[in-house]
Amino acid sequence: MTPRSMNRHQRNSGLIATAVAMALFITPFLYIFLMAVRTKQEAALFLFTWPAKWQFWANLVDVIQARNYMLMLAYFNSTIITVGAVALLIIFGAMVGYVLQRRQSGWNKVIYGLVLAGLIVPPAVVPTIWVLQGLGLFKTIHGMVLIQVAYGLAFSILLYRSFIGTIPRDLDEAARIDGATPWQIFFRVILPLLKPVTVTLIVVQSIAIFNDFTNPLYYLPGKENVTVQLTLFNFQTQFQSQFNLLFMNILLVTIPPLIVFVFFNRQIVAGMTAGGVKG
Amino acid sequence: MAEVRLKGIRKSFGGLEVIKGIDLDIKDGEFCVFVGPSGCGKSTLLRIIAGLETSTSGELEIGGVEVSDRDPSQRGIAMVFQSYALYPHLSVRDNIGFGLSLARMPKAEIARIVEATAATLQLTPYLDRKPKALSGGQRQRVAIGRSIVRNPQVFLFDEPLSNLDAALRGQMRIEITDLHAKLGVTMIYVTHDQVEAMTMADKIVVLNAGAIEQVGSPMDLYNHPATPFVAGFIGSPRMNLYTGDVARAMGCQTYGIRPEHLTLSDSGGTWAGTVRHVEHLGADAIVHLTVPVLGDLVARTTGDTALAPGAQVWASPVAGKEFRY
Repeated sequence: MTPRSMNRHQRNSGLIATAVAMALFITPFLYIFLMAVRTKQEAALFLFTWPAKWQFWANLVDVIQARNYMLMLAYFNSTIITVGAVALLIIFGAMVGYVLQRRQSGWNKVIYGLVLAGLIVPPAVVPTIWVLQGLGLFKTIHGMVLIQVAYGLAFSILLYRSFIGTIPRDLDEAARIDGATPWQIFFRVILPLLKPVTVTLIVVQSIAIFNDFTNPLYYLPGKENVTVQLTLFNFQTQFQSQFNLLFMNILLVTIPPLIVFVFFNRQIVAGMTAGGVKG
Repeated sequence: MAEVRLKGIRKSFGGLEVIKGIDLDIKDGEFCVFVGPSGCGKSTLLRIIAGLETSTSGELEIGGVEVSDRDPSQRGIAMVFQSYALYPHLSVRDNIGFGLSLARMPKAEIARIVEATAATLQLTPYLDRKPKALSGGQRQRVAIGRSIVRNPQVFLFDEPLSNLDAALRGQMRIEITDLHAKLGVTMIYVTHDQVEAMTMADKIVVLNAGAIEQVGSPMDLYNHPATPFVAGFIGSPRMNLYTGDVARAMGCQTYGIRPEHLTLSDSGGTWAGTVRHVEHLGADAIVHLTVPVLGDLVARTTGDTALAPGAQVWASPVAGKEFRY
């Protein structure tokens, strides 16, 4: 709708909606920012006021240098886990979704049931650790990658399966007649057409995995394995809490997912609607 | 040498037999049309020839070689789909060259072949467009171009014109017939439209419920339909067919007379009837009659007819053009 075609009522309600959304989404972020630039004493008061003394830079340096640059290591670990897990989720999700959608066999129902079970059955921590230890994957980054893949795969498969259902089977058959092997059909015809849903999955999963707190806490103990969300513990202990640094840390770990979201925002919306339109 | 020979082809889905033993010889360079109502198995038969479906039993030879166990790409065939099945993410150029790039042909060679093919199909200005930016007829040509570059022995068409509007369909009919004349290869064409079958085919195969009703040239089928089904299917408007007491009175199980083989008169004739409806097509007119002894009767007459609904009229069959089964 162009601004000219709006009447006064529509413009007013639009402004109100925008204001409410601003209040809901910006206020917490503003609070985090204002806390992050305070001194330690002022931050302990938890006031939503303009800081009496700004120490943005000092807090930033403190957070980054804390415990021998632990935040930098955490960024590195989290990035490795996120990139690795999302890449595997997309490749395997698309492949399994493709086979489930295209190849009709008696096993499909069983496999589909297992996929649904993966979505429904809550993960049990202790047995999982037991399995990881048995495989020698406990306390390892690649073990953590596999955990994230296991938790996210069911969702990816379901999303891909339904999206592949909207791609005409004629395309597979045309490629077959053109001499494509099943692998070539998948990688050269199907996978490129899955771009909208792939972008959606990249955003949703990478934000979830990057921001994951509990799974690294359970499955990835050890100082050298720290992930970004776990660095929040650096500034909150039993005897002493530095809330200004804690909030600065929150600010820093929020930024990468925010960049991903802003960057892919347009495509996410496209991905959510693309399935409904006949190509 | 690219004749296609089917021997006892059968196909079942579960317990349901959809192709019930097809024996058919299609000669090299022939334009063969499979025609029949929807659900008669014509598309399934084409897909069996293409190798997209496997037959339950029977033999299939293309160019004298048994191909039942070969992949679609190894059969020397190319197929044009009803939906065109163009790769939406590739340009026209890449769509046409896709098969060649899979065969690891050098890029320069692919470019040369694609350009040449595009030129013959008048697609050169559109080579860098995506399929969604093309009209229906252009998409159809891209699909044909993709088939041509494979240099097939046999072209398979699966209802290629049913997504086009009437005018374009007429034009593409001519283009495909021209292409057949130019390439001189065997073509197998599936349609439910008997006009397409009549206008394009060297040989028409009429299928009904998974079996062949009749094979012959278009005029053969028109003049000598072997069964009431073929008689009713070939020809437009369709033949008037009567069964039961009406037919028995005329000494047969099924009596048929084509609309164009009825003469109308207001003074006298075989059957008296009332005009129910007149469709003016310009050059001629289709008259729908209600005849007490027969039921409904359709007749074709000249376009300048003065008949109007409610008029009393006599209809008489032209001698020698009646069909009795």
